[in-house]
Amino acid sequence: MTEMNHGRNGRPGAFSDTVAMDLASGRAVDLAELYALDAVTDQERQAIEDYVSAAPEAERAAFLARVRQARETLAMTFRVEEEPPADLFNRIVAQLPAEAAQQEEKPDAGTSVPLSGRAAVPGSGDELAAARQRRKERRGPAGARRWLAGVAAAAAVALGGVGVGSYIADQNDPLNQVVRAGDLREASVDVSGGGTATLLISPSEDAAVVKMNGVPAPPEGKVYQMWLIPKDGSAPVSQGLMDEDALSKPAVVRGISSAAALGITVEPVGGSQSPTMPAVAAAPLGA
Amino acid sequence: MIEERQVTLLGTGSRAEPYNRGGTAEDSPPGDLCLVVMETPNAPHTEASAAVTDPPAELSHRLAVLLGGIARRDQAAFAEFYQLTSRRVYGMARRVLVDPELSEDTTQEVFLQVWQNAAKFDARAGSPLSWLMTISHRRAVDRVRSSQSSTDREARYGASTQDIDHDSVSDEVGSKLEAEAVVRCLGTLTETQQESVRLAYYGGLTYREVAERLNAAVPTIKSRIRDGLIRLKTCLGVS
Repeated sequence: MTEMNHGRNGRPGAFSDTVAMDLASGRAVDLAELYALDAVTDQERQAIEDYVSAAPEAERAAFLARVRQARETLAMTFRVEEEPPADLFNRIVAQLPAEAAQQEEKPDAGTSVPLSGRAAVPGSGDELAAARQRRKERRGPAGARRWLAGVAAAAAVALGGVGVGSYIADQNDPLNQVVRAGDLREASVDVSGGGTATLLISPSEDAAVVKMNGVPAPPEGKVYQMWLIPKDGSAPVSQGLMDEDALSKPAVVRGISSAAALGITVEPVGGSQSPTMPAVAAAPLGA
Repeated sequence: MIEERQVTLLGTGSRAEPYNRGGTAEDSPPGDLCLVVMETPNAPHTEASAAVTDPPAELSHRLAVLLGGIARRDQAAFAEFYQLTSRRVYGMARRVLVDPELSEDTTQEVFLQVWQNAAKFDARAGSPLSWLMTISHRRAVDRVRSSQSSTDREARYGASTQDIDHDSVSDEVGSKLEAEAVVRCLGTLTETQQESVRLAYYGGLTYREVAERLNAAVPTIKSRIRDGLIRLKTCLGVS
């Protein structure tokens, strides 16, 4: 397909593999359409919002204009209609008083409740303000963090649960437990720099097995470090290090039920307290 | 007729990537296309206008007024807003989620959000319908991503890929003529651009999942989605 090559052959400003790299190389505005289409993961959405909310006014305005236009375009284009069940409206109305009461209790519900925070049009100034607010709330006393946003937090990060270096690369028992779980689900993500990371995820075991395929050895003096990114927005928690030897072995990551995603970064030998951006891979762990 | 000229102009390059072509749509002033699409619905000689429930501009205005009412907790405004838009919200949810119950739940959540957040609607940031469909799509996508693995979605997606060109058949929100413009403008996208945008919109797939599904490079898919939407926007005269 000739068309496929065109995209790669590089007019200036061609996309890279990851949103993090696009942001880092100044292509945020070009992500507007993907963002408007919800064709990004939650983590990427967050990274884009974080970036745009801190961007210079002109760049932010350009991004927001493109998002608005893309949304108008989508609303005009995808217009399938179907009659909902006749009683649906009554069911909705039946819920209104409770909602209204909640509003009275929390006049600022728009920024503090996830459900209503989302209802502001994402990408409008309103939503970015909400994103800033959420970020602020997430930061807490431990300091800022930006996952995939290209900026790592230097502040102290609590290492909860499994500490650096303690992940189990070659103990067969826990591995087999996960792999034999009935609810095993497989996911695969690209690793920037080459190869993929395959995750075997078992909610019932509250664990995932991570296997790297064709991933090059880390650069001299560096290791790969795995992180769980908690759902509650708290700081990423290290799940251990992978050097060249460990790369060929599956690793078990536990405690995934409270995590939104698993991320992999390149860190100096010995590992870091907080991830160095950009991440080379990030896999949503799903529900 | 101007429209014919536009069709020809944009139609000729439909298999090329827009950014790599010269002398076609990207070079003509957007205002040109804008006139075509924006003015036609009100043209007096158009026969289709008889079938138009509400020209888009009037509908937008009405929905904005209703949102103002909803912000003041006016249930009658809420009922009318629902009546005008619920088929769009539910229809989209069905396409993305397939399952009727999930789609009902999502529709319910969307209208509860409308009730809660009507005061936040800002006409300067977009049309009411765009605001609503943004909330709806986000909701549906959140739902589908949390309830199904991407593999399930890809497998299931085949059922919903056909004929967005014909989505507008029972078009009550917006005009027939706008719907016709959409069909015409979709025709100006390359097939691969259309496919990528549809997979993302109705399949709820991320660009990366679209790339995996189409076995294409990730940057290529990102470009297709961006370029496809920009071309649609230009053709539809969205400014």
